[in-house]
Amino acid sequence: MDITIKNEGEKTLVTLNGRLDTTNADQFQADIQPLMTSPKPDIDIDCSGMTYTSSQGLRIFLSLQKSVLARGGKMVMLNMNPQVKEVFDITGFSNIIAIR
Amino acid sequence: MKLDMHCEMILDEYRERIPILNKIREVVLDILQRTMKENNMVVTAIEGRVKTEKSLAGKLELKGNKYHTIDDITDIVGVRIITFFSDEVDQIAALVERMFEIDWDNSVDKRKMLEIDRFGYMSLHYICRIPKSLYEDPQQPLINEIRFELQMRTALQHVWANMQHDTGYKSEVEIPTEHQRSLNRLAGILELADEQFSRIRKEINDYRRNVQSLVASGNFDDVPLNGDTFRSYCQLKPFQRLAVKIATINQAELYEDSPMPYYQVLLRLEMKTIGDVERMRSECSEGAYQLALIQLAGTGLDIVAYSVALQNLCIVKILKLGFGVAGLTSMFNAIYGESAYNAQRADRIFQQAIRSNLI
Repeated sequence: MDITIKNEGEKTLVTLNGRLDTTNADQFQADIQPLMTSPKPDIDIDCSGMTYTSSQGLRIFLSLQKSVLARGGKMVMLNMNPQVKEVFDITGFSNIIAIR
Repeated sequence: MKLDMHCEMILDEYRERIPILNKIREVVLDILQRTMKENNMVVTAIEGRVKTEKSLAGKLELKGNKYHTIDDITDIVGVRIITFFSDEVDQIAALVERMFEIDWDNSVDKRKMLEIDRFGYMSLHYICRIPKSLYEDPQQPLINEIRFELQMRTALQHVWANMQHDTGYKSEVEIPTEHQRSLNRLAGILELADEQFSRIRKEINDYRRNVQSLVASGNFDDVPLNGDTFRSYCQLKPFQRLAVKIATINQAELYEDSPMPYYQVLLRLEMKTIGDVERMRSECSEGAYQLALIQLAGTGLDIVAYSVALQNLCIVKILKLGFGVAGLTSMFNAIYGESAYNAQRADRIFQQAIRSNLI
């Protein structure tokens, strides 16, 4: 899983590439730590290059969204491919995480 | 503006006191904001000001001989709480009475001063001191001695008072009679609106309480389906058994989320009562579980949302009604917004359902 985090003005653009699973979930969690502290974040997560997410990934997205909302910010996951979107759909996470 | 020596002395004392007056304002605002939060009270605004020198001088010019010392002027620090509803003014007053030392001789309930055939300024004004139990600074004992004015009024009373103030007249006595009549007519309308807002809120609260007891009674066919009744019904956790069964497929964690987004789907399915939702639950539970089994078994996904139970119930209900791919697409469009993906997902589920003899 490759992750790049870019700040564009007030917005933060996170780009994900590859699989998010047990082998790299801890690293992913560490990589997004800077997003867990900034005040009132506005985060777009571009998932067009993400090929899979495991339940660890779902938990990380959930905790990131909770943290962002608690700080009065917003987070949206964009351009999910159908395989990844299906994981969100069959677990009911499409109802929880903001996806566009 | 030319003031006499007595008033100039009061102004000098005011200038010396400005830091402590600002401190009183700050302490009172802090106490009020904390108290509102602790009591779960939501108000339109809590605001405070220290009278400007120009404003105080104007007051002294008009009625300086009324004041022997600066301590006789009780509104140099003014704080205002603006509520949404008229009955909240009394609730807040009760809180204020418990918190601050009230100078009852100088406090005024303008709401009770108006005669039955008059409409106008309605506000509750308390003259208060900060008790040492709430704030004490041995270096600044005046903080507990200087009085401040606390005004409590509704948002509509506030609008009226501001509009009247905006006319540029300092008191209603100065306003030409014909304009005063218009302003008072408006005050009457706003008083009526305040009463109506409070009445409507009470009726809504009564309705919600009735709905809760109706839902709790279990006579679901007697309970019309609407946002309030569905919310009350959801508090009974009607989909818990199915959600737990679905979670067991992968020994998954069940994440508690709200099933409320599916309310609009139930309406589209023309459900009229909570009894209709109950029937869907009993008729479609097995199908909803089978669908989850097809989708989740072998994926290793060990977290699922509680709402997935209702999601699958709706899917199975739509398929049983024969609405097919179009019906599912319409459901997904309603919940997630329109996208080409929704039709693909609907088609995939439809094919899964056929292969598994769900329909």
